[in-house]
Amino acid sequence: MSGKQRTATYPVGDSYVSEGVIAAASSGPAAPGPAGEPGEPLLVVEDLRVQFTRGGRRINAVNGLSYELLPGSMMAIIGESGSGKSVSSRALMGLLPPTATITGSVSFAGRELIGMPEREMRELRGGDIAMVFQDPARSLNPTMKIGAQVTEAIRLHSDSDRKGAHARAIELLRMVRLPAPERRFHEYPHQLSGGMRQRVMIAIALAGEPRLLIADEATTALDVTTQAQIMELLVELQQRLGMAVVMISHDLGLAASYAQDVVVMYAGRAVEHAPTATLFGNVRMPYTRALLGAIPALEREPHSLFEVTPGQPPDLSALPKGCPFRPRCPNALDRCVEMPPFREHEPEHWWACWNPVGDETGNGEQE
Amino acid sequence: MTTAALPQVPGTRDPRVSRTSRVTRFAGSPVLRLVVKRLLMAIPIMLGVTVLTFWVLSLIPGNAAQQLLGPEATPEQVAQLEEQLGLNRPGYVRYGEWLRGAVTGDLGRSIVSNQPVSDLLGERLPVTGELVLLAFVVSLVLAVPVALLAAHRPGGVWDRISMVVSTAGLSVANYVLALILVLVFAVQLGVLPAIGFTPLSEGLWPNVRSLILPSAAIGLPLFCFYARFLRGDLVDQMQQEEYVTTARAKGVGSWQVLIRHAFRNSSFGLITVVGLNLGALIGGTVIIEQIFALPGIGQMLLQAINTRDFIMVQAVVVVFALVAVVANLVVDLLYAVLDPRIRYGSR
Amino acid sequence: MAVAETPISVTDHPGVEHEHEEAPARRGRWRRSLGVAVPGGMVALIVAACFLGPVLFDLPSPVGGNILESYLPAFSPGHLLGTDPNGNDILSRLLYGGRASLFIALAVNVLGLVVGGTLGALSGYLGGVVDTVIMRVLDVLIAFPSLVLTLAVAQALGPSMRNTIFALAFFSIPAFARVARSAVLRLREMPFMAAAQLCGTPAWRVLFKHLAPNTAPQLITFGMLGMGIVIIIEGALSFLGLGIPDPAPSWGNMVATGQLSLSATPMLVVWPSLALLVTVLSFNLLGENLRARWSGR
Repeated sequence: MSGKQRTATYPVGDSYVSEGVIAAASSGPAAPGPAGEPGEPLLVVEDLRVQFTRGGRRINAVNGLSYELLPGSMMAIIGESGSGKSVSSRALMGLLPPTATITGSVSFAGRELIGMPEREMRELRGGDIAMVFQDPARSLNPTMKIGAQVTEAIRLHSDSDRKGAHARAIELLRMVRLPAPERRFHEYPHQLSGGMRQRVMIAIALAGEPRLLIADEATTALDVTTQAQIMELLVELQQRLGMAVVMISHDLGLAASYAQDVVVMYAGRAVEHAPTATLFGNVRMPYTRALLGAIPALEREPHSLFEVTPGQPPDLSALPKGCPFRPRCPNALDRCVEMPPFREHEPEHWWACWNPVGDETGNGEQE
Repeated sequence: MTTAALPQVPGTRDPRVSRTSRVTRFAGSPVLRLVVKRLLMAIPIMLGVTVLTFWVLSLIPGNAAQQLLGPEATPEQVAQLEEQLGLNRPGYVRYGEWLRGAVTGDLGRSIVSNQPVSDLLGERLPVTGELVLLAFVVSLVLAVPVALLAAHRPGGVWDRISMVVSTAGLSVANYVLALILVLVFAVQLGVLPAIGFTPLSEGLWPNVRSLILPSAAIGLPLFCFYARFLRGDLVDQMQQEEYVTTARAKGVGSWQVLIRHAFRNSSFGLITVVGLNLGALIGGTVIIEQIFALPGIGQMLLQAINTRDFIMVQAVVVVFALVAVVANLVVDLLYAVLDPRIRYGSR
Repeated sequence: MAVAETPISVTDHPGVEHEHEEAPARRGRWRRSLGVAVPGGMVALIVAACFLGPVLFDLPSPVGGNILESYLPAFSPGHLLGTDPNGNDILSRLLYGGRASLFIALAVNVLGLVVGGTLGALSGYLGGVVDTVIMRVLDVLIAFPSLVLTLAVAQALGPSMRNTIFALAFFSIPAFARVARSAVLRLREMPFMAAAQLCGTPAWRVLFKHLAPNTAPQLITFGMLGMGIVIIIEGALSFLGLGIPDPAPSWGNMVATGQLSLSATPMLVVWPSLALLVTVLSFNLLGENLRARWSGR
């Protein structure tokens, strides 16, 4: 842990946030969150698997995901839609429908979440673990006032009376910089803009003073300016409140700008995991490189073509044998019909590939 | 044009679709404009219904004069009475005359008994009204908890039981159900009267008691329908709406999510269905009133048809159509009052 | 920063487990097929019993029974379900009455489907003034208490099968029209519609070649539910003496006859009621399950 390099300049992102991240890093492990020993992970996900049975078909949404998260840190989980990034985070909160079968282990501050009785789980939800969702237009109840939705969350996780909850709600709404919180308190979601709604969602998430906040594509539905504002708010709150944040996104650039660690997921597995600088400076997994190749950048030759990953994301009900990326992979070897293990090949740099970028050994069909 | 026309078509409207489309059109003071618009739309519908009735009735051979005098009457006698009753004039003249009276609240006099129609309606309407109200209350009071119980665990034991019961209940004709109820509760157990109506003036309990079986015969299929509809809508809300996930992520318990969050939103759909149903429901009272010998307007209608008392038939049709139209209007108003997105003319 | 090693090898998905995985899949598909097959089979059985039963088996005539043989109990010789107050065989009356009910229901729904479906499709496809006019006219029909008119027509023209069919069909038109219209409105937004129009396909061809096949499933499903409704309403008319004219059997008038001696011989009401219930239930289940299947749930 101690050898973690966080001061590198990131290829994408703006300076303000990079400084913010660095500031967070310096105070991170030294001043841990409300609970949890320094250096001890807050969240340990081990071999998490989620299967859905839908219309008689088995869909393997998550296939052995493992990662760890330190208190007060910000991690990004990156992947295409259907890569299992969203499903895995809902699985650990127990928010999946009963059609989902969840196996594996998720330990949060030493407590096992998988198989936890609903009553205990409910205490954790919105208490120690909170979540912000993608579409703020749909994730607030259209028929309830903003205030009622915030106070509901407050009163579920504290003994405050109506007045106390009201005061706390206004405080939270102010904390997320919702303009005119007293007035907005009595308004309905449709009267707010998308960015304001997402601020309300964050206020609701903060109501239980969480140690872990999961932001599930929390800025995807917003326009670029609002997106940056919300991300900065999240970073600021993360530092101020010392909570850990898992940010789920399909946007590598966004992850690079704000997160300290990045997990790249493909077909329900983690395929590469490293501190942000390491990952972007020394990509090993061909899939991650393909994702990076699809980001427009100023350094790129003018009029050069984007690298497009050929093929489709895999059908989760009929995964190919071995590495799921094999059919689309430029580095594929004969050996790839065997599943490559997800290992720490270099210090703090994990990947699952037989033939990683940088030390390709071909079997004749190499580039 | 496509979705804009939807809200005016009762039945096809998806509450969500119609809400947004109405919302965009009534950005000013939504509730008031809605009322005016709906009232204006009710006028051509009522005109259409009354013209249609007059036209259909005029196609029917034989009239009240013939019916009053009996089969032995000579054509001269019939003609004379026809002239006396004004039945020999062309239909549109009679319709015009009727309409002129109707808009001032005068529905004319019964051809057969010569009593003012409004007096007869005044006697009969309370009976039918009470019957329908009771059936409504019973069905809704039962349907809401059953639907909540079923939707709490879709596919669970309660859900399956309620599905089986409601499917069977929806397949029972109300006249069959009425006879089964009579057979069990009046004939076998002897706890409730089989037929007849006790007016309210003879006490609340005897009055309600005389309406229990008829309102159950109307209310039970209705209950099945509402329970099914509400259960389906609740399950949709719980499975497809992200605000439900938000509520659960807050730590709200499953019953609270269902009642405080999902039911609140499902109630709009239920209101629509209840409103649209009222028209069909009041038509269904005809046969029930006949079976239980209740002196309501359904019974009056059958008598009026038998005696070719077309002024009375017309009056009953107007009442039925008015109920349907007003119910629609009330649904829209309730929407406007209950749904913040319309109340505040959103977006 | 120690992440547990997760070596996933091919042995994670052995063949045995695979078979195990497929089992619920097969069960799900089975259940859905059963949901259509069982009520479908019931409908077929009812239709066969009503139309072929009296031909294949030597049943007594449903009318003109011997008054001396009235009120026979079930399982009497020659009368499996006994006889009614007029000495007519109940089983025979049930089957012949079923013929009438099924025929009327079919005729009403076919008429409603063809006329209402066409009106609704035109309304949805053409839009504009046509749509407004058609929908306003249908609004009137919807607000109109259909039972009243049906009663009036039946009373006036004299109860007969033909009149019942026309009166009921008239009022099933708006329901079919609405279903067809909303289906067409949805289809109109689909790319293949634009493609057809860009190719210069004439409107009538678009309607019949593209819209009709795509709206048919919904209309037919709705028609199944309509069968149940019409059977119930036809029973109500006959019950009131305004449907199938009297000596001829119908489930509705059998219930009405039985009602007169309800306490003494309840079975006279029970048999036709059961016939009504089972038939309507079969059509409803068939409709519901077809709808669930076509909507892909």
